[in-house]
Amino acid sequence: MKPIKKIKVVVAGPFAAGKTQFINTVSDIKTVKTERKITAEGEKNVKEYTTVAMDFGKIRIDDEHELYLFGTPGQSRFDFMWEILGEGALGIIILVDSTDPSTFHEARRIINFFQSRFPVSMVVGVNKQDLPNAWPPEDVSTALDIGEDEDIPVLGLSALNKEDVKRVLLTLLELVKKELTG
Amino acid sequence: MTLIGDLKTLNLVDILQVIAKDRKSGILLVEWKDLTVAYYVKEGEVIFARPVDRVFRVYSDRDFDTLIEKLRIPGEKLHKTVERFLIERLDDREGVFSFTPGFIRYGSSYPVVHPVEKLIMLASRNLTKEEVERKISDELLVFEPSPNGLEILDKADTNEAERRIFSLVNGDKTVADIRREAKMDNLTVDRTLYGFLALGIIKRKKREKKQKPSIALDLLMKIIERIREK
Repeated sequence: MKPIKKIKVVVAGPFAAGKTQFINTVSDIKTVKTERKITAEGEKNVKEYTTVAMDFGKIRIDDEHELYLFGTPGQSRFDFMWEILGEGALGIIILVDSTDPSTFHEARRIINFFQSRFPVSMVVGVNKQDLPNAWPPEDVSTALDIGEDEDIPVLGLSALNKEDVKRVLLTLLELVKKELTG
Repeated sequence: MTLIGDLKTLNLVDILQVIAKDRKSGILLVEWKDLTVAYYVKEGEVIFARPVDRVFRVYSDRDFDTLIEKLRIPGEKLHKTVERFLIERLDDREGVFSFTPGFIRYGSSYPVVHPVEKLIMLASRNLTKEEVERKISDELLVFEPSPNGLEILDKADTNEAERRIFSLVNGDKTVADIRREAKMDNLTVDRTLYGFLALGIIKRKKREKKQKPSIALDLLMKIIERIREK
Protein backbone atom coordinates (compact mmCIF):
# COMPACT_ATOMS: atom_id res chain seq x y z
CA MET A 1 0.00 0.00 0.00
CA LYS A 2 1.32 3.42 -0.97
CA PRO A 3 1.85 5.91 1.82
CA ILE A 4 -0.68 8.76 1.89
CA LYS A 5 0.78 12.15 0.93
CA LYS A 6 -0.42 15.00 3.10
CA ILE A 7 -1.18 18.53 1.93
CA LYS A 8 -1.51 21.06 4.72
CA VAL A 9 -3.70 24.14 5.17
CA VAL A 10 -3.46 26.12 8.42
CA VAL A 11 -6.49 27.77 10.05
CA ALA A 12 -5.34 30.50 12.44
CA GLY A 13 -6.95 33.44 14.23
CA PRO A 14 -7.57 34.98 17.63
CA PHE A 15 -9.16 33.20 20.59
CA ALA A 16 -12.79 32.12 19.95
CA ALA A 17 -12.74 33.07 16.26
CA GLY A 18 -14.36 29.73 15.33
CA LYS A 19 -11.35 27.78 14.03
CA THR A 20 -12.36 24.42 15.53
CA GLN A 21 -15.89 24.79 14.14
CA PHE A 22 -14.53 25.73 10.69
CA ILE A 23 -12.50 22.52 10.50
CA ASN A 24 -15.29 20.41 11.96
CA THR A 25 -17.77 21.65 9.34
CA VAL A 26 -15.76 20.43 6.36
CA SER A 27 -13.62 17.58 7.71
CA ASP A 28 -14.26 13.95 6.70
CA ILE A 29 -13.41 12.84 10.22
CA LYS A 30 -14.50 14.16 13.57
CA THR A 31 -11.98 16.88 14.39
CA VAL A 32 -9.13 15.67 16.57
CA LYS A 33 -9.01 18.25 19.35
CA THR A 34 -6.44 19.12 21.98
CA GLU A 35 -8.68 21.11 24.26
CA ARG A 36 -8.34 21.98 27.90
CA LYS A 37 -10.76 23.61 30.28
CA ILE A 38 -10.18 27.38 30.41
CA THR A 39 -8.93 28.78 33.68
CA ALA A 40 -8.11 32.40 32.67
CA GLU A 41 -10.84 34.65 34.09
CA GLY A 42 -11.49 36.84 31.01
CA GLU A 43 -11.54 33.88 28.63
CA LYS A 44 -13.81 31.70 30.77
CA ASN A 45 -16.75 33.97 29.98
CA VAL A 46 -16.35 33.38 26.24
CA LYS A 47 -16.15 29.57 26.09
CA GLU A 48 -15.46 26.66 28.39
CA TYR A 49 -12.73 24.81 26.48
CA THR A 50 -9.90 26.07 24.27
CA THR A 51 -7.38 24.53 21.87
CA VAL A 52 -3.93 24.22 23.44
CA ALA A 53 -1.85 22.46 20.76
CA MET A 54 -3.83 22.14 17.56
CA ASP A 55 -7.04 20.89 16.00
CA PHE A 56 -6.84 18.54 13.14
CA GLY A 57 -9.28 17.51 10.43
CA LYS A 58 -8.82 15.99 6.99
CA ILE A 59 -10.39 15.62 3.57
CA ARG A 60 -9.56 12.57 1.52
CA ILE A 61 -8.61 13.60 -2.04
CA ASP A 62 -7.81 10.21 -3.60
CA ASP A 63 -6.05 6.97 -2.65
CA GLU A 64 -2.74 8.76 -2.35
CA HIS A 65 -3.54 12.21 -1.02
CA GLU A 66 -5.27 13.86 1.92
CA LEU A 67 -5.81 17.53 2.65
CA TYR A 68 -5.03 18.20 6.32
CA LEU A 69 -6.58 21.17 8.08
CA PHE A 70 -4.66 22.29 11.14
CA GLY A 71 -6.22 24.75 13.56
CA THR A 72 -3.82 26.74 15.71
CA PRO A 73 -4.44 27.74 19.32
CA GLY A 74 -5.79 31.30 19.46
CA GLN A 75 -3.88 32.71 22.39
CA SER A 76 -0.51 34.30 21.57
CA ARG A 77 1.08 32.45 24.49
CA PHE A 78 0.92 29.38 22.22
CA ASP A 79 2.57 31.13 19.26
CA PHE A 80 5.39 28.55 19.21
CA MET A 81 2.70 26.21 17.82
CA TRP A 82 1.91 28.68 15.03
CA GLU A 83 5.53 28.44 13.92
CA ILE A 84 5.46 24.62 13.94
CA LEU A 85 2.10 24.32 12.17
CA GLY A 86 2.89 26.95 9.53
CA GLU A 87 5.91 25.03 8.24
CA GLY A 88 5.18 23.53 4.80
CA ALA A 89 1.61 24.87 4.62
CA LEU A 90 0.08 25.28 1.16
CA GLY A 91 -1.90 28.26 2.41
CA ILE A 92 -3.24 29.98 5.50
CA ILE A 93 -6.77 30.94 6.50
CA ILE A 94 -7.10 33.59 9.19
CA LEU A 95 -10.47 33.60 10.93
CA VAL A 96 -11.79 36.68 12.74
CA ASP A 97 -14.85 36.92 14.98
CA SER A 98 -16.81 39.74 13.33
CA THR A 99 -18.90 40.30 16.48
CA ASP A 100 -15.86 40.97 18.68
CA PRO A 101 -13.90 44.04 17.54
CA SER A 102 -11.64 43.72 20.58
CA THR A 103 -9.88 40.88 18.70
CA PHE A 104 -9.26 42.78 15.44
CA HIS A 105 -5.82 44.08 16.42
CA GLU A 106 -4.79 40.59 17.52
CA ALA A 107 -5.95 39.25 14.16
CA ARG A 108 -3.70 41.72 12.37
CA ARG A 109 -0.78 40.66 14.55
CA ILE A 110 -1.42 37.04 13.56
CA ILE A 111 -1.53 38.03 9.87
CA ASN A 112 1.82 39.81 10.29
CA PHE A 113 3.27 36.77 12.08
CA PHE A 114 2.41 34.36 9.27
CA GLN A 115 3.20 36.83 6.46
CA SER A 116 6.71 37.38 7.78
CA ARG A 117 7.51 33.69 8.28
CA PHE A 118 5.52 31.86 5.60
CA PRO A 119 5.04 33.87 2.38
CA VAL A 120 2.22 31.68 1.08
CA SER A 121 -1.34 32.44 -0.06
CA MET A 122 -3.66 33.77 2.63
CA VAL A 123 -7.39 34.40 2.98
CA VAL A 124 -9.21 36.17 5.83
CA GLY A 125 -12.56 34.70 6.88
CA VAL A 126 -14.81 37.13 8.72
CA ASN A 127 -16.73 34.64 10.82
CA LYS A 128 -20.06 34.69 12.70
CA GLN A 129 -21.83 36.73 10.02
CA ASP A 130 -25.02 34.94 11.06
CA LEU A 131 -25.00 36.67 14.46
CA PRO A 132 -26.43 40.08 15.32
CA ASN A 133 -23.84 42.87 15.66
CA ALA A 134 -21.52 41.23 13.15
CA TRP A 135 -19.28 43.79 11.44
CA PRO A 136 -19.47 43.58 7.61
CA PRO A 137 -16.37 42.04 5.96
CA GLU A 138 -15.40 45.32 4.25
CA ASP A 139 -15.30 47.19 7.58
CA VAL A 140 -13.33 44.40 9.25
CA SER A 141 -10.91 44.59 6.33
CA THR A 142 -10.43 48.33 6.98
CA ALA A 143 -10.00 47.75 10.72
CA LEU A 144 -7.35 45.13 9.95
CA ASP A 145 -5.54 47.57 7.60
CA ILE A 146 -5.59 45.06 4.79
CA GLY A 147 -4.22 46.96 1.84
CA GLU A 148 -5.57 46.46 -1.67
CA ASP A 149 -2.18 45.32 -2.90
CA GLU A 150 -1.69 42.75 -0.13
CA ASP A 151 -3.60 40.21 -2.23
CA ILE A 152 -5.53 38.87 0.78
CA PRO A 153 -9.21 38.23 -0.04
CA VAL A 154 -11.55 39.00 2.87
CA LEU A 155 -14.74 36.92 2.92
CA GLY A 156 -17.72 36.85 5.25
CA LEU A 157 -18.88 33.45 6.52
CA SER A 158 -20.53 31.43 9.19
CA ALA A 159 -18.28 28.50 10.15
CA LEU A 160 -21.45 26.52 10.84
CA ASN A 161 -22.39 26.69 7.17
CA LYS A 162 -20.65 24.11 4.99
CA GLU A 163 -21.07 26.10 1.76
CA ASP A 164 -19.47 29.16 3.42
CA VAL A 165 -16.51 27.10 4.64
CA LYS A 166 -16.07 25.51 1.20
CA ARG A 167 -16.13 28.98 -0.41
CA VAL A 168 -13.31 30.19 1.85
CA LEU A 169 -11.24 27.05 1.18
CA LEU A 170 -11.84 27.30 -2.57
CA THR A 171 -10.86 30.98 -2.60
CA LEU A 172 -7.57 30.03 -0.95
CA LEU A 173 -6.96 27.19 -3.41
CA GLU A 174 -7.77 29.43 -6.39
CA LEU A 175 -5.19 31.89 -5.04
CA VAL A 176 -2.64 29.07 -4.84
CA LYS A 177 -3.53 28.14 -8.42
CA LYS A 178 -2.93 31.75 -9.50
CA GLU A 179 0.50 31.67 -7.83
CA LEU A 180 1.30 28.38 -9.52
CA THR A 181 0.26 29.36 -13.01
CA GLY A 182 0.94 33.11 -12.89
CA MET B 1 -25.35 47.05 9.87
CA THR B 2 -24.51 48.75 13.17
CA LEU B 3 -20.86 48.65 14.23
CA ILE B 4 -20.56 48.19 17.98
CA GLY B 5 -17.46 48.20 20.19
CA ASP B 6 -15.62 49.47 23.23
CA LEU B 7 -13.22 52.42 23.11
CA LYS B 8 -10.79 50.52 25.32
CA THR B 9 -10.15 47.99 22.56
CA LEU B 10 -10.98 49.98 19.43
CA ASN B 11 -10.03 53.63 19.85
CA LEU B 12 -11.34 56.71 18.07
CA VAL B 13 -8.59 56.58 15.45
CA ASP B 14 -9.75 53.08 14.48
CA ILE B 15 -13.43 54.07 14.42
CA LEU B 16 -12.85 57.23 12.39
CA GLN B 17 -10.67 55.21 10.01
CA VAL B 18 -13.57 52.85 9.28
CA ILE B 19 -16.01 55.76 8.88
CA ALA B 20 -13.65 57.72 6.62
CA LYS B 21 -12.75 54.74 4.40
CA ASP B 22 -15.91 54.68 2.29
CA ARG B 23 -17.04 58.17 3.31
CA LYS B 24 -19.90 56.72 5.35
CA SER B 25 -22.89 58.72 6.55
CA GLY B 26 -24.83 57.97 9.71
CA ILE B 27 -24.83 58.37 13.48
CA LEU B 28 -21.96 57.56 15.79
CA LEU B 29 -23.26 57.21 19.32
CA VAL B 30 -20.76 57.13 22.18
CA GLU B 31 -21.87 56.34 25.70
CA TRP B 32 -19.12 58.09 27.60
CA LYS B 33 -18.84 57.57 31.34
CA ASP B 34 -20.56 60.87 32.09
CA LEU B 35 -22.85 61.42 29.11
CA THR B 36 -24.05 60.02 25.81
CA VAL B 37 -23.12 61.95 22.69
CA ALA B 38 -24.50 61.57 19.18
CA TYR B 39 -22.05 62.46 16.43
CA TYR B 40 -23.60 63.22 13.06
CA VAL B 41 -21.51 61.92 10.20
CA LYS B 42 -22.03 63.02 6.61
CA GLU B 43 -19.90 61.44 3.90
CA GLY B 44 -17.12 60.59 6.34
CA GLU B 45 -17.09 64.00 8.07
CA VAL B 46 -18.23 64.58 11.65
CA ILE B 47 -20.30 67.72 11.16
CA PHE B 48 -22.20 68.00 14.43
CA ALA B 49 -22.28 66.56 17.95
CA ARG B 50 -24.89 66.75 20.66
CA PRO B 51 -25.36 65.12 24.05
CA VAL B 52 -28.59 63.19 24.38
CA ASP B 53 -30.37 62.23 27.58
CA ARG B 54 -32.35 59.48 25.84
CA VAL B 55 -30.96 57.55 22.89
CA PHE B 56 -34.36 57.34 21.18
CA ARG B 57 -34.26 61.11 20.70
CA VAL B 58 -31.50 60.63 18.13
CA TYR B 59 -33.67 58.32 16.12
CA SER B 60 -36.78 60.45 16.33
CA ASP B 61 -35.08 63.39 14.58
CA ARG B 62 -34.13 61.91 11.26
CA ASP B 63 -34.06 65.08 9.20
CA PHE B 64 -30.84 66.93 9.95
CA ASP B 65 -31.90 70.34 8.62
CA THR B 66 -35.05 70.26 10.73
CA LEU B 67 -33.04 69.17 13.75
CA ILE B 68 -30.53 72.02 13.69
CA GLU B 69 -33.33 74.45 12.99
CA LYS B 70 -35.16 73.12 16.04
CA LEU B 71 -31.98 73.38 18.13
CA ARG B 72 -31.37 76.89 16.74
CA ILE B 73 -27.78 76.21 15.81
CA PRO B 74 -26.54 78.22 12.83
CA GLY B 75 -24.61 76.19 10.26
CA GLU B 76 -21.40 78.17 10.78
CA LYS B 77 -21.34 77.18 14.46
CA LEU B 78 -21.81 73.44 14.02
CA HIS B 79 -18.06 72.84 14.33
CA LYS B 80 -18.07 74.26 17.87
CA THR B 81 -20.05 71.19 18.97
CA VAL B 82 -17.42 68.92 17.41
CA GLU B 83 -14.73 70.75 19.35
CA ARG B 84 -16.59 70.56 22.63
CA PHE B 85 -17.93 67.02 22.48
CA LEU B 86 -15.30 65.24 20.41
CA ILE B 87 -11.94 67.03 20.26
CA GLU B 88 -11.97 67.73 23.99
CA ARG B 89 -12.60 64.03 24.64
CA LEU B 90 -9.93 62.48 22.48
CA ASP B 91 -7.95 61.22 25.47
CA ASP B 92 -10.98 59.56 27.09
CA ARG B 93 -11.25 55.76 26.77
CA GLU B 94 -14.21 55.05 29.02
CA GLY B 95 -17.03 54.43 26.62
CA VAL B 96 -18.83 52.16 24.23
CA PHE B 97 -19.75 53.15 20.71
CA SER B 98 -22.17 52.21 17.98
CA PHE B 99 -22.17 53.48 14.44
CA THR B 100 -25.40 53.16 12.48
CA PRO B 101 -24.98 53.90 8.79
CA GLY B 102 -27.63 55.83 6.89
CA PHE B 103 -30.67 56.72 8.92
CA ILE B 104 -30.28 60.51 9.00
CA ARG B 105 -31.35 62.58 6.00
CA TYR B 106 -28.86 65.31 5.25
CA GLY B 107 -30.07 68.12 3.03
CA SER B 108 -27.86 71.15 2.54
CA SER B 109 -24.11 71.18 2.49
CA TYR B 110 -22.51 72.01 5.81
CA PRO B 111 -19.15 73.62 6.51
CA VAL B 112 -16.42 71.18 7.56
CA VAL B 113 -13.98 73.03 9.79
CA HIS B 114 -12.41 69.87 11.19
CA PRO B 115 -11.96 67.35 8.36
CA VAL B 116 -11.89 63.70 9.42
CA GLU B 117 -8.22 63.52 8.42
CA LYS B 118 -7.46 66.23 10.96
CA LEU B 119 -9.58 64.49 13.63
CA ILE B 120 -7.71 61.23 13.06
CA MET B 121 -4.33 62.93 13.49
CA LEU B 122 -5.54 64.76 16.61
CA ALA B 123 -6.80 61.45 18.05
CA SER B 124 -3.49 59.75 17.17
CA ARG B 125 -1.61 62.28 19.29
CA ASN B 126 -3.51 60.99 22.33
CA LEU B 127 -2.83 57.28 21.86
CA THR B 128 -1.18 55.43 24.72
CA LYS B 129 1.91 53.25 24.39
CA GLU B 130 -0.24 50.16 24.71
CA GLU B 131 -2.58 51.36 21.94
CA VAL B 132 0.17 52.15 19.42
CA GLU B 133 1.70 48.73 19.98
CA ARG B 134 -1.44 47.19 18.48
CA LYS B 135 -0.44 48.43 15.02
CA ILE B 136 3.21 49.42 15.35
CA SER B 137 3.88 46.02 16.87
CA ASP B 138 7.33 45.38 15.51
CA GLU B 139 10.25 47.77 15.07
CA LEU B 140 11.24 45.86 11.93
CA LEU B 141 8.03 46.85 10.14
CA VAL B 142 8.62 48.78 6.91
CA PHE B 143 6.16 51.32 5.53
CA GLU B 144 6.04 53.18 2.25
CA PRO B 145 4.14 56.32 1.21
CA SER B 146 0.79 55.71 -0.51
CA PRO B 147 0.42 57.12 -4.03
CA ASN B 148 -1.97 59.84 -2.73
CA GLY B 149 -0.21 60.14 0.64
CA LEU B 150 0.88 63.76 0.18
CA GLU B 151 -2.63 64.85 -0.75
CA ILE B 152 -4.09 63.32 2.45
CA LEU B 153 -1.21 64.72 4.50
CA ASP B 154 -2.27 68.25 3.49
CA LYS B 155 -5.83 67.68 4.71
CA ALA B 156 -4.62 66.19 8.00
CA ASP B 157 -3.24 69.48 9.34
CA THR B 158 0.00 67.83 10.42
CA ASN B 159 2.69 69.58 12.42
CA GLU B 160 6.36 69.92 11.60
CA ALA B 161 7.39 66.82 13.58
CA GLU B 162 4.80 64.67 11.79
CA ARG B 163 5.90 65.94 8.39
CA ARG B 164 9.49 65.12 9.30
CA ILE B 165 8.43 61.57 10.19
CA PHE B 166 6.60 61.29 6.87
CA SER B 167 9.77 62.34 5.03
CA LEU B 168 11.57 59.38 6.61
CA VAL B 169 9.06 56.80 5.37
CA ASN B 170 10.52 55.49 2.12
CA GLY B 171 9.78 51.78 1.82
CA ASP B 172 13.26 50.98 3.00
CA LYS B 173 13.64 52.26 6.54
CA THR B 174 12.28 50.17 9.40
CA VAL B 175 10.34 51.62 12.30
CA ALA B 176 13.58 51.36 14.32
CA ASP B 177 15.43 53.44 11.67
CA ILE B 178 12.70 56.08 11.63
CA ARG B 179 12.66 56.30 15.42
CA ARG B 180 16.43 56.77 15.46
CA GLU B 181 16.63 59.29 12.62
CA ALA B 182 13.63 61.36 13.71
CA LYS B 183 15.40 62.17 16.99
CA MET B 184 12.07 62.25 18.82
CA ASP B 185 10.68 60.06 21.55
CA ASN B 186 9.45 56.67 20.31
CA LEU B 187 5.86 57.28 21.36
CA THR B 188 5.58 60.41 19.17
CA VAL B 189 6.97 58.52 16.17
CA ASP B 190 4.69 55.53 16.75
CA ARG B 191 1.59 57.66 17.27
CA THR B 192 2.31 59.47 14.01
CA LEU B 193 2.86 56.24 12.07
CA TYR B 194 -0.38 54.86 13.54
CA GLY B 195 -2.29 57.95 12.39
CA PHE B 196 -0.66 57.89 8.94
CA LEU B 197 -1.56 54.22 8.55
CA ALA B 198 -5.18 54.87 9.56
CA LEU B 199 -5.41 57.70 7.05
CA GLY B 200 -3.80 55.75 4.23
CA ILE B 201 -0.92 58.25 4.03
CA ILE B 202 1.44 55.31 4.37
CA LYS B 203 0.95 51.57 3.90
CA ARG B 204 2.79 48.42 4.84
CA LYS B 205 5.46 47.67 2.30
CA LYS B 206 4.34 44.88 0.03
CA ARG B 207 6.15 41.65 0.84
CA GLU B 208 8.55 40.14 -1.62
CA LYS B 209 6.91 37.75 -4.02
CA LYS B 210 5.22 34.79 -2.38
CA GLN B 211 7.02 31.48 -2.56
CA LYS B 212 5.96 29.25 -5.43
CA PRO B 213 3.50 26.65 -4.06
CA SER B 214 5.09 23.20 -3.84
CA ILE B 215 2.22 21.28 -5.39
CA ALA B 216 1.55 19.96 -8.89
CA LEU B 217 -1.24 21.72 -10.78
CA ASP B 218 -3.15 18.49 -11.51
CA LEU B 219 -3.18 17.58 -7.82
CA LEU B 220 -4.34 21.08 -6.90
CA MET B 221 -7.16 20.83 -9.44
CA LYS B 222 -8.14 17.49 -7.93
CA ILE B 223 -8.33 19.07 -4.46
CA ILE B 224 -10.45 21.94 -5.80
CA GLU B 225 -12.78 19.48 -7.49
CA ARG B 226 -13.05 17.34 -4.34
CA ILE B 227 -13.98 20.33 -2.18
CA ARG B 228 -16.55 21.54 -4.71
CA GLU B 229 -18.20 18.12 -4.55
CA LYS B 230 -18.32 17.93 -0.77
